[in-house]
Amino acid sequence: MRTLYLDNAATSWPKPGEVPRAVARAMIRGGGNPGRSGHAKSIEAGRQVLHTRELLAELFNVKDPSRIVFTKNATEALNVVLVGLLREGGRVVTTSMEHNSVARPLRALSPAGVTVEVVPAGADGRVDPRAVDRAIGSDTRLVAVTHGSNVTGAVNDIASIGTICRERGVRLLVDAAQTAGCIPIDLDRIPVDYMAFSGHKGLLGPQGTGGLFIRDERDLPPLLRGGTGSLSDREEQPEFLPDRFESGTLNVPGIVGLGEGVRFLLKRGVEAVMEHDRRLREILWQSVTADPRIRVVGDGPEAPEGARSTGVMSVVIQGVSPSTAGEALERRFGILTRIGLHCAPSAHRTMGTFPDGTVRLSWGVFTSEREIARAGRALLSIAAGG
Amino acid sequence: MFRRKERGRDAEELDGVATFFGSHHALRAESVLKKAGYAVRLVPGPREISPHCGVALRFSYARSEEAACLLRESSVQFEAVHLYPER
Repeated sequence: MRTLYLDNAATSWPKPGEVPRAVARAMIRGGGNPGRSGHAKSIEAGRQVLHTRELLAELFNVKDPSRIVFTKNATEALNVVLVGLLREGGRVVTTSMEHNSVARPLRALSPAGVTVEVVPAGADGRVDPRAVDRAIGSDTRLVAVTHGSNVTGAVNDIASIGTICRERGVRLLVDAAQTAGCIPIDLDRIPVDYMAFSGHKGLLGPQGTGGLFIRDERDLPPLLRGGTGSLSDREEQPEFLPDRFESGTLNVPGIVGLGEGVRFLLKRGVEAVMEHDRRLREILWQSVTADPRIRVVGDGPEAPEGARSTGVMSVVIQGVSPSTAGEALERRFGILTRIGLHCAPSAHRTMGTFPDGTVRLSWGVFTSEREIARAGRALLSIAAGG
Repeated sequence: MFRRKERGRDAEELDGVATFFGSHHALRAESVLKKAGYAVRLVPGPREISPHCGVALRFSYARSEEAACLLRESSVQFEAVHLYPER
């Protein structure tokens, strides 16, 4: 039985072949610590890191690649903004679909005087931008919104939310962990102030990579301070980008691999990836909704006009707990999924699936229509008690 | 063939040195100026010029004003451009 990996929302697999090859090359033929020395190996490592930064800038349409800083994952990037901007308290508007990577830092900041206004998502898992507008008050310091839900795949309208935030003079932080590489993001057009992204999901890079786009670095201190290879004669942290936010040696092999993932996406086109993900969603949705015992959480192909989704679908099977279903999918059908609450308890509360959670299936660029149809048949078989 | 090309490149004297606060900007400067047709070479930053960054960029000092404009347009932050002939 061939294993079918449907947990791409946790981390994408497989990666384009050039990604692991580039990682190995960076370690075997490369070497050198970028920015730390003037010798050939250090300079070459620096060039490789810059190359990935430039590819990301191209993908997100960012004119100055220095505005993209590397972190170890999207969580760290989100923490840079949340902890940095809200260290002295303030009011934050966020949504009920957030992952714990936003919810937990906000909760931990409450002794510092941070108050949180949660905008509930609708039955389709999306947040109405007008509700965000209504929640913004004169003392709101930040709006933090997930671009795509890791539970339902529903994509929020960050262009409208960004426009509202710009008009109201409030900064916007977008969590693009689930959408970078899956949904086109044009940062030259969309007024987002900060965008956190994961490198190992839709961007197809190795784990341990991620980053943060920063439109304006003023008032934003770094989370970590330390060696940057620059201004070495001073004990103060450099103020300029990207060094302010990149203390300590970077994950060069990971970043080089990430560059190859992004290059693959630039060649294929993110629009094409989105269309592929949409087509697979339609096949799976049509397959499983034939059985009324299977409930698709969030929307299917009949999504509201213009609404988008990623390659993520959560289902609940009547009379079968998610853990039982997940185990059956793996043991009887060789299908790897993720069951439970997906680190997003509030999103499950919103969708009415707390505390049991769901079975989440998440596909990727290398998943075929035949494979997604196989997953649909497996769910139908489990629902039928077979 | 190769040697002749090298000699041709050296014909443009790399007597200017741009210094930077961080290597990211030195590498971006290399990329921006190379694309604009400059002969450039990254070198360990001369300590007597700047204590800041491990790498500096050599190019023709005669083109320093035009180069500075190009770098500013591309948001590359540099410290200064010095006349510093190769020894």
